[in-house]
Amino acid sequence: MTRQERAAWGFVGPVLLITSLVFVLPVLLAMALAVTDYSIYAMAASDNVRFVGAANFTELLRTPLFWRALGNTFLFACLGVPMAIGASLFAALLLNDATVRWKPFWRVALFAPYVTSVVATAIVWRFVLNTRFGLLNYALSWVGVGPVDWLGDPRASIPAILLFVTWKIFGYNMIVFTAALSAVPVELMEAARLDGASRWERFRHVTLPAIGPTLLLAAVMSVAGFLQLFSEPYVMTMGGPAQSTVTVLYFMFDEGFKWWNLGQASAVALILFVLILALTTIQTRIGRRYEWL
Amino acid sequence: MLSLSDKKARRRDWLRNLNNRNRTGGRAIDGLTPLEVTRRGWLAGAGALAIAGCHPAARADLRFWATSYEGDYSPHLTAAFERATGLSVDVQSVPSTAAHEKMLTAFAGGALPDVFMVPSGWVREFWSIGAIAPVPSPALIADTVPTALALARVDGRDVAVPWAIAPQVQYYRRDLLAAAGYAGPPDDWEAWRAMGRTLKRRRPDDYVFLMLLNWPDTLVSMLWQSGARLLREDDTRGNFSQPAAEAAFAFYKSLFDEGLAPRALSTEVQDPLAALAAGYFAIWPSWPTLLLDLRRRAAELPRERWGVARLAGPTGPSVASMVSASLCVSATTPRPREAWALVRHLTSRSSEVKFQQMIGNLPARASAWNALSLDPQVLAPFAAQLAAPGLAPPVIEWERIQIEIQYAAERVVRGLQTIRQALAGLDARADQLLAKRRELVQAGQIA
Repeated sequence: MTRQERAAWGFVGPVLLITSLVFVLPVLLAMALAVTDYSIYAMAASDNVRFVGAANFTELLRTPLFWRALGNTFLFACLGVPMAIGASLFAALLLNDATVRWKPFWRVALFAPYVTSVVATAIVWRFVLNTRFGLLNYALSWVGVGPVDWLGDPRASIPAILLFVTWKIFGYNMIVFTAALSAVPVELMEAARLDGASRWERFRHVTLPAIGPTLLLAAVMSVAGFLQLFSEPYVMTMGGPAQSTVTVLYFMFDEGFKWWNLGQASAVALILFVLILALTTIQTRIGRRYEWL
Repeated sequence: MLSLSDKKARRRDWLRNLNNRNRTGGRAIDGLTPLEVTRRGWLAGAGALAIAGCHPAARADLRFWATSYEGDYSPHLTAAFERATGLSVDVQSVPSTAAHEKMLTAFAGGALPDVFMVPSGWVREFWSIGAIAPVPSPALIADTVPTALALARVDGRDVAVPWAIAPQVQYYRRDLLAAAGYAGPPDDWEAWRAMGRTLKRRRPDDYVFLMLLNWPDTLVSMLWQSGARLLREDDTRGNFSQPAAEAAFAFYKSLFDEGLAPRALSTEVQDPLAALAAGYFAIWPSWPTLLLDLRRRAAELPRERWGVARLAGPTGPSVASMVSASLCVSATTPRPREAWALVRHLTSRSSEVKFQQMIGNLPARASAWNALSLDPQVLAPFAAQLAAPGLAPPVIEWERIQIEIQYAAERVVRGLQTIRQALAGLDARADQLLAKRRELVQAGQIA
């Protein structure tokens, strides 16, 4: 080993050690838990734990609520990712316009929800979404839409929470997009305009390819984020109404921490991990095809 | 260093006051609020921190956890204990919705406090995992209401000291019922529902009954009243598909179908007491702790406008859900003697009477009932209901099954499932939840 290599190991070693202790080891332990029937009875007496192989997984597939949670999570992701990224991109494009004044102010104002506590904002939004006294229903009544029971109707609860989540998180990607947009070559934009490209064509053929890699990153992060949605339904609806907002992570939390079925909860975690990995792989494939990576 | 810890303590003091103020609505009760006591406590705490120098984790002699109002107001009770014994007690109020996971996690992490409050539904669970110590002396549980004692007993052993007992009753708007020609809510289901219809006709935009769709207590009371035995085979399987359970579900569902109860979750009715005061509903099956809110907010809903009665049953008042709060001592506490002394102090007759005045909680000590200054009209239904408890099957999984019952009920009420489908689903789910118990019972490892 050369001196340089020794120095490199000296720098990397501690980080690797800590990572393996606080990350790799727990993950391995969780994988081990997933093939046992660790439950509250195991806490009573450790010889109550048994190796059950894939039984946790087959049991999960027999549990209607797990399927429900999977379905809800996918609904959240399918609707939420385009909604959140769309809102971020739209806001970033608006902010990027040369005619907008007080840009720093708008940036801060739109970014603020992202850094506010989720519980505090959720409580405010619960008032906004209140069926009888809520601002949202009040605004809707102006355009003749009857009162919507946002958090009480199983069909309206996911849109209601998505509205809140989008408002809460779009600021982050907006800032990322603003940075990416400032890198779009001005000459190219002017050339396109001189060639008679419309506003949409300029966006489609100049802006979009330039921010492609950023868009991919935002999509990967958003998909992973939405698949792990937890605190918003936990605070806003506690999984209700009629379990329409129970997400996979919420289900896992309930099984694992509330009822201490750590065997089954670890199995859920493993499934979620595989899902996120699969989706991210697909996304990177798509990214490669467009040469964004 | 001294000024730093002082500053830290002052900051936490401020934060904690803020929390307490939010929880109690910032109103003074009997000239004494949790605010004042914690402020005093924190001033003392700041001094202790100063003495401890830069060691921020200067620990109290005893740690005590309790949920909801019990947690908020316990400093009023522990203050006298601290004065008498010279021991310091750190009271932590744990939000009841997160208490179960917090306590289990604390047990797994070896961080349970010396003394903690456990609702009756969890006593068996915490005993079976070895988190709590058995009651060392019968003197601690002498003079206890029999129902409360039964709820703190596991397999014939006393493992917790009952602190408060809460039979479910109904609160009603006396004025609204009187306007419809009722002196009080009728006793049996049919007449109760008929009264609901009369009230609904008079005020079609409002409702009559408040039964939140994510709170199982009222439906569970109805299930007990119907006489259904919900588990079978040594409580190892679900037994929901039976006519009695079907009848209770049907009655429950009809109250929503006829528009007598709003299809609402607790997250939607943000201030039920304000809604009761506004006449949004007239009947609220609830617990003794509501008495605190009613007294505190008497300006919104004066005493003459509400009353208390036993829940209606199929053919007259019968059993109803019953919960109790018990105090447990951690099996691993380093100071068991002091911990039990704190339990003895908190559950003494005078402490329980004082607590009743403060937070409405009904005492678990039988003799304390004679010393209550509560309006006899209010007290009578509670006392009568106390003699008719609806007791849950003695299995750890019951808390969970109860939540599943309510999920099923919500699906039925929202028209997503028929009652039969829901009950069959409940049987399957209960069998799933009880699988491990079944295995252990069959192996003869637990009874």
